[in-house]
Amino acid sequence: MTEIRWHSRAGQGAVSGAKGLGDVVATTGKEVQAFALYGSAKRGAALRAYNRIDDKQILNHAKFMNPDYVLVIDPALAYTDNIEENESEETKYIITTHLSKEELIEGRPSLKGKEDRVYIVDCVQISLDTIGRSVPNAPMLGAFVKVSGMFELEYFLENMKRVLSKFPQKIIDGNMQAITKAYNEVK
Amino acid sequence: MAVKYDLNEREVWDGNFAASQSLRQAKVDVVAAYPITPSTPIVENYGSYVANGYVDGEFVMVESEHAAMSACVGASASGGRVSTATSSQGFALMVEVLYQASGMRLPIVLNVVNRALASPLNVRGDHSDMYLGRDSGWIQVDAFNAQEAYDLALCAFKIGENHTVRLPVMVHQDGFITSHTAQNVYPLSDEVAYDFVGDFKPVDDMLDFSRPITYGAQTEEDWHFEHKARQHKALFDSREVIDAVFAEFEKISGRAYKRVESYDMEDAEVAIVALGTTVETARVAASELRSEDGIKAGVVAIRNFRPFPFDKVREALANVKSIAVLDRSSPGGAMGAFFNEVSAAIYSTPNRPLVTNYIYGLGGRDFSIEEAKRIFKEQKENADAGHIMTDIQQFSGLRGPSLGFFKTKRG
Amino acid sequence: MQDLKLLANDKRGKTELGSRRDLVGWHEVTQGSILPSFDGDAIGIALKKAEERVYSNFNSYTATVASWRVQKPVFNIDVCIDCQNCWVWCPDSSILSRDKQMMGIDYDHCKGCQVCSEVCPTNPKSLLMFNEYVQLEDALASWPEKKKKEK
Repeated sequence: MTEIRWHSRAGQGAVSGAKGLGDVVATTGKEVQAFALYGSAKRGAALRAYNRIDDKQILNHAKFMNPDYVLVIDPALAYTDNIEENESEETKYIITTHLSKEELIEGRPSLKGKEDRVYIVDCVQISLDTIGRSVPNAPMLGAFVKVSGMFELEYFLENMKRVLSKFPQKIIDGNMQAITKAYNEVK
Repeated sequence: MAVKYDLNEREVWDGNFAASQSLRQAKVDVVAAYPITPSTPIVENYGSYVANGYVDGEFVMVESEHAAMSACVGASASGGRVSTATSSQGFALMVEVLYQASGMRLPIVLNVVNRALASPLNVRGDHSDMYLGRDSGWIQVDAFNAQEAYDLALCAFKIGENHTVRLPVMVHQDGFITSHTAQNVYPLSDEVAYDFVGDFKPVDDMLDFSRPITYGAQTEEDWHFEHKARQHKALFDSREVIDAVFAEFEKISGRAYKRVESYDMEDAEVAIVALGTTVETARVAASELRSEDGIKAGVVAIRNFRPFPFDKVREALANVKSIAVLDRSSPGGAMGAFFNEVSAAIYSTPNRPLVTNYIYGLGGRDFSIEEAKRIFKEQKENADAGHIMTDIQQFSGLRGPSLGFFKTKRG
Repeated sequence: MQDLKLLANDKRGKTELGSRRDLVGWHEVTQGSILPSFDGDAIGIALKKAEERVYSNFNSYTATVASWRVQKPVFNIDVCIDCQNCWVWCPDSSILSRDKQMMGIDYDHCKGCQVCSEVCPTNPKSLLMFNEYVQLEDALASWPEKKKKEK
């Protein structure tokens, strides 16, 4: 079982990101779960989305998890949210930031000693450059593909095209570029 | 003729989307709805299927849930296949008309995405609304995940519309935990699904001009009792039809449903009895406890909340020693309603297992595997001691001092 | 003088309402208390006259409330101007009229409420209330004269 927790703000696309990821993972024959607990959340409110991935049907419906991956797609949440909640000694963090990893950890001392498990990527800037507005979910998917090694980039891109098929071609192209760029830039 | 909707063999759908696809595949004629969180997407999606030509039907916009169910009653009495969805406060506003629908024997399918009832206002899942419908004369089936929300909605049409049943059916799913959680769903093709559900065959339809009829007659003390008795018998008699529909569904889907589901119960000493997603989470806990602690734990789930499977519950629990019945609804000054019903069923078993009541998960409070394990362990202690060690009713997952009521009198 | 069974078929008012003679057990009540109005195919029923229709036993046409009356309206055809006011006002559809010609009273369904008599505009009235036991011919024989306008 692989468990992923997204830290995001309402409107940044963590829910769509989690569902898109689930959609692609399912094509590999795995069972997936993607959910978010929100309701009255207004744009900008902190929220969390979750993924579970397993070889057999996923029965656990609890929000509680010891995440294998924590994906932070809002730069400020890396400082204000409890991103280490219920972490394990293997939890990997992919955090969107314009800072260097050293600067980030300097400002978030609780990440100290986990340098080899912390990855950074500037999802906001990448989405501005490729899609034209701040939708950091797609770049985070690219970074996740790289860090997790779960898919080949090409396979992921092909399947994301299908997930996004209802959108205009321009949006699809922008998302593809965003995923690719983040895949190459995450470190 | 409706436009073909492209489906994959494997989809990643949330419970709401799954339910709306069932409505499309069953070719529902009329959906009258006043959308409410978390069930909104079910009727919203149906509306978009109508607008985009994926289903030949009618979406009726109304001014309240009371009006929504009233319009459903009218459309169903007119002779159409009718469905809608609601939750929580919307369900509460529908209640008056729910009794009309069942009393008039109209096979409407209501998708209830379970949500807490205010006050305080809350949009998350608990079973308050489901319990509110329990005496309304509807058949109630409960889905534990998105796949089941899809499957059971298809079954619901076939059960309710059966001419020996002719009763409305609620298909329940947990708000957010099912309705907004995307999981792998394996849909049937449109042809297989519709062939299973079948054409709607109206009875006593008001648009049959060769046979004008009266709906909603008044019956005072000289007639009312007989009518309610017949309705109640029809509800209990629907059990056979439900079994038959589930069996037929298994043939086309490979997915088996039972009115009472038992997991790891063959040799179980302790059991959790629950509804909704909790069932599946508790199954994980039971299976882990068996390997970690050697506790013979099992789970019994009520798929068919109404008609209440009194006999099946009794069979499923006859041989365990201690049972935790989990109520996800604030009991309002009583033992949990579900606890009462399960206790009544097992009271007439020779062994009379110990039964305790846990109130949990109100307003969407998370129910974890760890919490399920703790409950199992308490049951194990009861079983070993031969009597209930805790309060008979406890609140589980609550902040603050432990809250519980009533002890077993001993000695 | 009108026939007491004016424009009636055999089924009209055959059962005393509330007589409890029709009470059946739970196994025999209709599902959903849904009641058909007619026996057989009712296509075109709207074009048929009441006495030609095959009303079902559930239809109130087959029940009578004649015994509820203490006073009954009597119709005097000699004074009536066929204005149809009584037909409009009668709450129990008990004014029998054909082609806008007033015919008389449905004595199986009239409860004696007196509305028809109240709204009758003729002088003297064409509908007057009499005790239930008064014979129609005696009632007609005692019809009042036209009232003179008071100056």
